Amino acid sequence: MIRLVGRRLVATVPTLFGVLVVAFLLLNVAPGDPVAAMVGERADAATIARLRAELHLDDPLPVQFGHYVWGAVRGDFGRSYITQRPIARDLEERFPKTVQLALAAMAFAALAGITLGVLSAIRPGGAMDRVAMLLSYVGVSFPVYWVGLLLILLFAVMLRWLPPSGSGGLAYLLLPALTLGMRSVAFLARMTRAAMLEVLSSDFIRTARAKGLSEAAVIMRHGFRNALIPVITVLGLDTGSYLTGSILTETIFGWPGLGRYVLSAIEKRDLPAIQGSILFMSLVFVLVNLVTDLVYANADPRIAYD
Amino acid sequence: MPALPRSSHLLVTVTAVATLVACRGDRESSGRATLSYYESYDPRSLDPALSTDVPTGEMVTLTYDGLTQFDADGHLLPALADRWTAGGEGGRRYVFHLRAGVKFHDGTPLTAAAVRASFLHVLDPTTKGGRPWPLYPIAGAEAYAAGHSRDVQGIEVLGDTALVFTLAEPLAIFPKFLAMPVASVVPTPLPGSLRERPVGTGPWRLVTWQHDDYLRFVRNPGYWGGAPAAETLTVRIVPEPLTRAAEFEAGRLSVLEVPFGETARWRRERPGDLVEKPALRVVYVALNNRRGPLRDVRVRQAINRAVNVPEILATVYGRRGIPSRGAIPPALAGSDTTRPRYDYDPGAARALLAEAGYRRGREAARKGETDMVILDWWADYPDADNFLYPLFYSGSFGPGGNYAFYSDPVTDTMLLRARRTTDDAARTDVYRRIDERVYRAAPWLYLWFPTDLWARRPELAGWDVPVIFNGQRWTRARVAPR
Repeated sequence: MIRLVGRRLVATVPTLFGVLVVAFLLLNVAPGDPVAAMVGERADAATIARLRAELHLDDPLPVQFGHYVWGAVRGDFGRSYITQRPIARDLEERFPKTVQLALAAMAFAALAGITLGVLSAIRPGGAMDRVAMLLSYVGVSFPVYWVGLLLILLFAVMLRWLPPSGSGGLAYLLLPALTLGMRSVAFLARMTRAAMLEVLSSDFIRTARAKGLSEAAVIMRHGFRNALIPVITVLGLDTGSYLTGSILTETIFGWPGLGRYVLSAIEKRDLPAIQGSILFMSLVFVLVNLVTDLVYANADPRIAYD
Repeated sequence: MPALPRSSHLLVTVTAVATLVACRGDRESSGRATLSYYESYDPRSLDPALSTDVPTGEMVTLTYDGLTQFDADGHLLPALADRWTAGGEGGRRYVFHLRAGVKFHDGTPLTAAAVRASFLHVLDPTTKGGRPWPLYPIAGAEAYAAGHSRDVQGIEVLGDTALVFTLAEPLAIFPKFLAMPVASVVPTPLPGSLRERPVGTGPWRLVTWQHDDYLRFVRNPGYWGGAPAAETLTVRIVPEPLTRAAEFEAGRLSVLEVPFGETARWRRERPGDLVEKPALRVVYVALNNRRGPLRDVRVRQAINRAVNVPEILATVYGRRGIPSRGAIPPALAGSDTTRPRYDYDPGAARALLAEAGYRRGREAARKGETDMVILDWWADYPDADNFLYPLFYSGSFGPGGNYAFYSDPVTDTMLLRARRTTDDAARTDVYRRIDERVYRAAPWLYLWFPTDLWARRPELAGWDVPVIFNGQRWTRARVAPR
């Protein structure tokens, strides 16, 4: 196990380096001048030229890239052009907020999605199945920003139960988590249903029933456990993408997480902030995938990596 | 200053629900008894030297003071300097006298040396602020900013309480430049953490800053201009306009700039809460005066006659603006509200194009020669100069503000003359003539002067929409029982 983890961690290095190269090149071919965002409207040419020189923006690309990689290797993500704050600290401030939202959304999605999926698989074509699949269609089809705004109007403006936006206690977490988790609920429900249907028609389920186990035990212990692998895949992928921040949800709910940080960095062409965020997000994503793989092995003893 | 207000198409989709909400009637609680304002994104920093944008400038305005300041109506008022005299050396010399007894939030007294140090900090190339130009009129400032000299000879400290500024050339509006956030005064020696923990002389003291979330201020009881009426002021960072509207309706924001798509509904349902004020702002399409057919004044005039501005304002912008007939907003001296506009007249437009040799109006566009960009311009300081010098002076090409690349020696001469004219009536007259001259040359497609439309919570008292972003210090604002 430890060897596996070590090997996988080493394997992330080239991945991350690739991400660095691509991010760096993309940002340099994309239009837009970071200095223009720094000086605002109405700037004098001398100030612009001076800032460009101070930020090494006029150096040849390989030299700029060298500077950047050297910094990243030492764990120094540099400072934001715009705010002049260290990017590592900015990320450190935003990440816990994103984790909070991601975990809440995933908890909601796992609970609701798996429950819906299992319930609808018990009697395919039944009333429960139809309702659950309708819900999951709705969940997949409705755009996040629309659902978010509707939830705000309903729970914050009409009913006054929850605050519309911002961050703070549990009350602030509910609406964004619901919004963010909704798509996953839908996917998970469909995925769970399909996997359960396949498993429930296999021989060992018949055997389990035949030996007199209660239906609940058949479904949960024998059926669900064996249907878990694809479900874990979806959970892992979604967790990875949630942990890297969600631009729409965070913007609508004024949630101070990674997604908004990246968005405003992009809007202002804040190169070090964009590069730092991308690198950090890739790292998170790679780690989440690693954890997912480990969970596979745990869920299904037939999967072994050695 | 930047960017058109975003009108949101999200809106259309939620209108139905919004209407439902409205039908439920007014069930609002009185809100929490605190003042709550918002910004659309996190300020850059609370070091005034970095205030290059509106959110940063507004937060700097709450925390710091300059030698002069603007009120909500854009009038220039004394601030840390309680009086100043101009004149001497042909209008190049200004003496500013500091207000007595002013202290920074940390208790250190304000001195003339601090003012000088603050300005040097803004100009210092290592500060990398990006907006030192309001101080460039001071003799030697540009050389210092470029790293060519060790000192700014135009700033002279007279004891603890007065400063003499010698300008490189006469500039009648120099005191207005000093009211801009970047010219705010910070203590000396400079506190290392000014970016995050500001120390100013302003009405509000920052206590918490959760990035991308909120800033919380408490009143400065010793504020020289009279302590704020309220105890605290929270500034929330809320990027999405419709979320802001919900926050306002839920009673959690004291004021709100009404989102564009919501204009009609709010006018209908909350007329009592709305405040409307002509903004110091102009929206226009810069025509590239150096390229292709746009070099021809007739083509540019034809474009002006081919666009139905009043109709666009009425149907798309909820009548939140008035068609412009020049670049100077009506609230500023020098504007002319009687000048004949380029009225919408496609026939006349076609005739002008034909005269210029373009029989078919669309030929120019098909050749890919046209070059236009829609822009808006926000006042940095309330003066006609701010709507002429950056936008039409030939030395302000491109990032300086002249995106039309309009270049006319006569306009240039008149602009420089106006800047040197100390007599306000004479100066205003020159501005009016410049605006007239430029309007005839039609370097822009002139669109409109926006009108700000804000909503105020009914329980909020003592707050007015500022015409200029740094004209509202929230000192008289308070939450009053309804």
